[in-house]
Amino acid sequence: MNEKEQSLKRLMEAARRAPAPGDESAPFGFSTRVAARAFEAAQPSPPSFARVSLRVAGIACLFAVVAVGVNYKAITSAFDDESAAAGGDDPVSDVVNLDS
Amino acid sequence: MPDDQSFDLAGCLDRVRKRDQIAARELVEHLHPLVIRIARSHLPRRVAEEDLAQDIFLKMFTRIDQYKGEVPFTHWVSRIAVTTCIDHLRAQKRRPELRWADLSERETDVLDSAITNENDVAPDDALAARELVQKLLERLKPEDRMVVQYLDLDQKSIAEISALTGWNQTLVKVRAFRARRKLQRLYRELTESERT
Repeated sequence: MNEKEQSLKRLMEAARRAPAPGDESAPFGFSTRVAARAFEAAQPSPPSFARVSLRVAGIACLFAVVAVGVNYKAITSAFDDESAAAGGDDPVSDVVNLDS
Repeated sequence: MPDDQSFDLAGCLDRVRKRDQIAARELVEHLHPLVIRIARSHLPRRVAEEDLAQDIFLKMFTRIDQYKGEVPFTHWVSRIAVTTCIDHLRAQKRRPELRWADLSERETDVLDSAITNENDVAPDDALAARELVQKLLERLKPEDRMVVQYLDLDQKSIAEISALTGWNQTLVKVRAFRARRKLQRLYRELTESERT
């Protein structure tokens, strides 16, 4: 072992003799604060209002799909009627096409 | 190490898992000496030891459902503490090399005593010696700093360090070898730097 290594070893030995820092018990209020923060941070599920809102939105979507399914024929026939009406004489072309 | 015999750890853990705040407080008080010792040994600059301890406990509570009892609970908590300290140490920028000019008067005296070996370092100067060693350790990577701290200052065995950190024993030995070599290089640079 060279001189520098010996010298570092002596320094380490001296550092080991330093007294350990004092009190290791938790300071007043520390455990209460940590326990409260731990449970506050680890909220397992969303709050009840959010839960109810999600359920209501799901049910509303279901109703919308059922309503479209039940009224499918009525909806498609309404579109057919509109296209039939659109297929009739065009009053504008009648006015513009003066020769016919 | 907390006294596990007089404390019903298993019962306390069950109650904590059921979100019992009183049990959580008891667990914090029981483990505080262990956690604060690790936090103090590996405390980054400008971080309060209480804040670091709080961070360690919050991580412990977040992961408590993952604890399956494969290792003693205190070892499991130690590993969380060690990784949290390493994360904090990584977040701080490492300081460049240390020079005589960075030392206080007492640290200079301590270093002189160590170099010349004419006088033993006086017991009163042990704190200055500790601070000087900490200044040197701050120049190392967090893992290297940790292994030197445990081996050379706290005088823990390789097996104990392995249990505390979760690193296998070969890794601890390799890290210790490299870390000591880097520390010697830093020490040589310090002692050969110009006195101002």
